[in-house]
Amino acid sequence: MTKFIIRRFIGLIPTLFIIITISFFIVRIAPGGPFDKEKRLPPEILKNIEKKYHLDESLVKQYGRYLLDMARGDLGPSFAYPDHDVNFFIFHSLPKSILLGTMALGLSVILGIGTGMISALRQNKWQDYTAMSIAVFGITVPNFVVGPVLMYFLALKLGWLPTSGWITGRYGWSTIIMPVITLTLPYFAYMARLSRASILEVLRSDYIRTARAKGLGESVIMFKHVLKGALLPVVSYLGPAFAGIITGSVVVERIFRIPGLGQFFVQAAFNRDYTLLMGTVIVYSVILIIMNFIVDIIYGYLDPRISYS
Amino acid sequence: METKLKEPTVNELNQPLKGVSLWKDAWRRLKKNKLAIYGLVIVIIYAVLSLSASILPIYSYKRQVIEHQYLPPSITKTAGELLLEREESMMLAMARKMGRDQLNDQEKDKLEALRKKVETEAKEIGGKTVKVHERRYIFGTDPLGRDILARIIYGGQVSIAIGLIGTFTSVLIGIFMGALAGYLGGKTDYIITRIIDVMYGLPYMMLVIIMMALFGRNILNLFFALAIVSWLTVARVVRGQIISLKNSEFVEAARSVGASNFRIIFRHLVPNTLGIIVVFTTLRIPSFIMMESFLSFLGLGVQAPFASWGSLVSEGVEGMNLFPWRLFFPAIAMVIFLFSMNFLGDGLRDALDPQSKNKL
Repeated sequence: MTKFIIRRFIGLIPTLFIIITISFFIVRIAPGGPFDKEKRLPPEILKNIEKKYHLDESLVKQYGRYLLDMARGDLGPSFAYPDHDVNFFIFHSLPKSILLGTMALGLSVILGIGTGMISALRQNKWQDYTAMSIAVFGITVPNFVVGPVLMYFLALKLGWLPTSGWITGRYGWSTIIMPVITLTLPYFAYMARLSRASILEVLRSDYIRTARAKGLGESVIMFKHVLKGALLPVVSYLGPAFAGIITGSVVVERIFRIPGLGQFFVQAAFNRDYTLLMGTVIVYSVILIIMNFIVDIIYGYLDPRISYS
Repeated sequence: METKLKEPTVNELNQPLKGVSLWKDAWRRLKKNKLAIYGLVIVIIYAVLSLSASILPIYSYKRQVIEHQYLPPSITKTAGELLLEREESMMLAMARKMGRDQLNDQEKDKLEALRKKVETEAKEIGGKTVKVHERRYIFGTDPLGRDILARIIYGGQVSIAIGLIGTFTSVLIGIFMGALAGYLGGKTDYIITRIIDVMYGLPYMMLVIIMMALFGRNILNLFFALAIVSWLTVARVVRGQIISLKNSEFVEAARSVGASNFRIIFRHLVPNTLGIIVVFTTLRIPSFIMMESFLSFLGLGVQAPFASWGSLVSEGVEGMNLFPWRLFFPAIAMVIFLFSMNFLGDGLRDALDPQSKNKL
C-alpha cells in the first residue's frame, strides 16, 4: 500500500508539468500582452518594462526561467499590480477559497449520502420523491441562477442574511451561508442520486440477504455492509465534484463578492497578467491533483479488488 | 382489465411475429414517460420560437428606446401609460417631501405635456413610423430600453444554437477518437486514453476561461474552446462500447468479406452505439448551455448587442433589487428549458437503454 501511494505520488509530477507547460504556452501564444493598454506606452518605456520582466527573451528561455523560479517557490511579480508579487495574492486569497470549497464538498458528501440513504430505504415513498425532486432541481438549475435568486429573497427582501462580505467582516459567519448553499446544491444533488442508485443496487445483492438471514440489525447492515460497497461510485465522483466546485467557486465568489482566488483568476485573465494567471492556474491544478490522489487512495482502501502492482 | 381485452394476446403462437426496431421500441417506451413527453413538447416549442424569432411579432432585440428604460413588465398597459404613471408617482413623492399633498400647476402642466408627447410621438424604426409609446413590454425593459422578451427569445436562439452545435462537434470528435482507440487498440488506444486521462485531470473550465479571455470573445472561439474540452466522456463511452462489440460475429463477417477498418468502424460499429450516443447528446446539451452561460456570466461569452441566457442573467443581477424582472424572466426561461431537456434526456435513456447502470 505504501509503495502504491509513493508511486502514485511520483506519478503526479508529470501531470503537473504538463499542466504548467500547456497553460504557459496558451497564455503566451495569445495575441496581445499585459502592457497593451488603451494608452499606448512610448516604445522605449515599453522596452524597459519588458526587459525588467524578461519579456524580451525568447519564449523557451522564459519558460525555463519560469520553471526554475517555480521550483524555488517563487511565482514571480504581478504585471497588473506591481506592488505585490503573485505569492502575496495567492497567500491572501487562497484560504477563503479553500474554506468555501471544503465546506461545500464536506456538506455535499454528508448531506448527499444521508439523503441518498433515506431515499433508498424509503424507496417510492414521499421521502424518496421529495429528496429526488430537490436533487433534480439542484442538478438542473445553474449556480449563477441559484446565487442571485437566494440573494434577492434572503438578503434583499427578507433581510435575514448580509448580501456580501466575508467571515472576518462585520457580519461574521452569516456571510458564508449563501455562498456555501449555492456551491453545495448541485454536488449534493449528484451525490444524493448516485448514492441512492448504488445503495439500492447493493441492497438487492446476495450478501445483504445473508446478513439479514443471520439476524443482524438494520443499522449494522446499513453502515457496515451496505455503505462500504455502495460508496465506491460516490468516492469516484469526488474528483470531478471537486473540479466542479473549484470552477463553481469562480462564479460564487463573483456573485457574493468574496475576494478569493477565483476573483483574482478572472481578473488576471482579463488583464493578461501572465504571472498571476499562471500562478492561480497552478494552485488550482495542484489542489485538484492532490484531491484526485486522495480519492484514488480512499478508493483503493474501500475496494480491495484494486491491485497495487 | 378492460383495456387488456382490446389488445391482441401477444404470447399466443398463432400470432404473426413482427419485428420491432430499436427506435420503434424506444419510442413506445418513451411515450409512456409523461415527464419526458412534456419535456419534448417544451423543447419543440422553444425550438420553434427561436427559429421563427425574426418573423414573430416581437420588437427588435437591439433597438434602444432610451425613454423606455427600466419599464416594469405589464400585459395590460402600454409603455406610455407606464411612463406617465412613473412620472406622476415620482412627482408626488417629490411633492410630499416638500410638504405638499398635491401637485402644483407647473407639475401638472409637465405631466400634460408628457401625456401629449406619449400620445402623438412617432419614431422611425426599420423604415416604418411607429408610435413607440404604444408598445407593450410584457417582460419589461432593460436599462437601454430594449424589450426583455425579445432579448430572451434571441438569447435563446444563441444559447440553443451553441448547445446544439457545440454538443454535435464534441460528440463527433468523441465518436471519432473513441472508435479509433477502441477498434485499433494497441499503441493508438494507449495514446488516446492517456490524453483523455491527462485532460480529465486538468481544470479544463479554467483553460476555457483563459482561452476566451486571451483569444478574444467571439462565438467561434467559444465553440472551439468548449468543444476541445468536452469530447472526453463521449470518447470514453464509445471506446468501451466498441471494445465490447469488436469481436462479435458481424464484425468478423464484415472483415472476412474484405471491408476496410474505416468501413467496419463507421458502417458497422458506430451505428450500434448510436442509442447511447443519442442519450448522451441530449443529456449533454443542457450542460453545454450551462457552460456557455457560465462563461457569459463571467463576461467571457457572447458579447453585446447579442445576448444569451447567461449574459441576460448576468445583466439582470445588476440592480436586481429595483428591477427584479430583469433577473427573473431570463432565469425562468432558461431553467424551464434546462428542466425539459434533462427530463427528455432521462426519458430517452430509460427508453433506449433500459438496463442502464450509469444513472447520471
